[in-house]
Amino acid sequence: MPDDARRGAAADWLARLSAADLDASEAAAFDAWVSQPANGAAYDAVLSVALELQAAAPKLIEELNELPAPRRSNASRAWLALGGVAAAAALAIGLTPLSVFAPETQTFATAKGERKAVTLADGSTVELNGGSRLSVTLARHERRLSLPQGEAIFDVTPDKSRPFLIAVGDRTVRVVGTRFDVRHLGDDLSVTVERGVVEVRPADGVKGRIWRLHPGERLDVVEGPAAPAPQLSVADPQAVESWRTGKLIYRDRPLGEVVADLNQQFARPVVLEDPALARTRVSGVLILDNEEAVTRRLALLAPIKALPSPEGFTLRSDPAAKP
Amino acid sequence: MRHTSVVAETPEPSPSPDIDPDADRGDPLLAAYLERRTNLVRFLAARAGSLAVAEDLVQELYFKLAARDRGQDIGAPVALLYRMALNLMLDRARGEARSVARDTAWRQTAHAEVGGVDVADEPPADEAAASAQRLRQLVAAVAELPPQAGRAFRLHKLEGLSHAETARAMGLSVKAVEKHVSAALKALTARLGRRADA
Repeated sequence: MPDDARRGAAADWLARLSAADLDASEAAAFDAWVSQPANGAAYDAVLSVALELQAAAPKLIEELNELPAPRRSNASRAWLALGGVAAAAALAIGLTPLSVFAPETQTFATAKGERKAVTLADGSTVELNGGSRLSVTLARHERRLSLPQGEAIFDVTPDKSRPFLIAVGDRTVRVVGTRFDVRHLGDDLSVTVERGVVEVRPADGVKGRIWRLHPGERLDVVEGPAAPAPQLSVADPQAVESWRTGKLIYRDRPLGEVVADLNQQFARPVVLEDPALARTRVSGVLILDNEEAVTRRLALLAPIKALPSPEGFTLRSDPAAKP
Repeated sequence: MRHTSVVAETPEPSPSPDIDPDADRGDPLLAAYLERRTNLVRFLAARAGSLAVAEDLVQELYFKLAARDRGQDIGAPVALLYRMALNLMLDRARGEARSVARDTAWRQTAHAEVGGVDVADEPPADEAAASAQRLRQLVAAVAELPPQAGRAFRLHKLEGLSHAETARAMGLSVKAVEKHVSAALKALTARLGRRADA
């Protein structure tokens, strides 16, 4: 087999191996293939390039974001330069040169405790909370976003012909024009609406009902097939969005949620000694200045003690403490 | 204090495999494992996106195999081995993805706080931070991929979206994403691969 074809086969395997539907028999087929020394060498070459790029991912993303947008005109000129015959042939068999029209995907990320405001090309604004990742694709017929991790407030420019769709875990949030907060930490996601109407529906292939949320409503969803039913509650959007001003405001929220929020803000993890503590209800305001002070103040809002640990802070149940 | 926690967060080098050479006697599954350890690492590294995580998982698999009840009949040891490896990944996938993201974010923060001097940053060889020049090569190679392949690669391999999430973000089928990622990997290897392994 020529090197180029072998490299293609190796790349196919590497791409295939991260598929969600890969099963053990296919894995065994991979094992047989990669056991051939020439295949193994080709695979290792592709794997080492992939791992090198993945290890450098944060820096790469940062650098790629700073590059000027690719000049589309070059692509179309090159394509037109193929001449009338090629163009006609492409049209005749129904091909569209995708690269000419393919919309760009922009990505944004924030470090722990960092907040960032972004204005998108359609005039919508997004404020990202710490430890968040967001990708944005503004296509001609829809605006597609994905929030794999973190929290953001979206203020969406109304455009009926281009729905604004946000993929969060196994749900899709669909809006026409409104302002709302989306939080996606681990398996927990929540949507709080300040203005307008927001629809939360299961992603393709996921079962579940469609929720329509109105101003002042909050929906909490736990991802996964065995998760409890989503909870609709009344929320104060100002409180939910308080992180943008360096505060966290809670009215009767579970301690687990507070801890997840703090872990978006600070580098050193805050952990619960006993997972059952996560259900303890908390009300109060936390000013986000420094982690030690914040955990100490948190301990005044619930029957807990905050103990420094080698990694960060541990919250321990303390029935003696007055909440 | 900051300095101490920087050091505390440095990943421990993975423990060397503590393997008894006679352990496979009469155990076809353990024999298959010892024979295929390299392939298992290759397999898990592709899925986990990190050699260190793959080594860790393969080591964990060994302990699982060594600890299991040997009485059962094993039909196809290789498939069973990979099924166990897949299950191990599933068990750890969610927590692992989160802690990798956390590590990265953490490192960025720590980096800023120690004033540009990365005290703790001595990653293992396979994760060696690219030199400035190498980084430029990597950036250029990714930026110059065909648009669809570049986006699929970036969303899936660099930003850690699953095939399904990438498909959703790009408005494509999962199969198409796989195809674009493969094309990207092929082009990137042709451009960036070290001559030595060609």
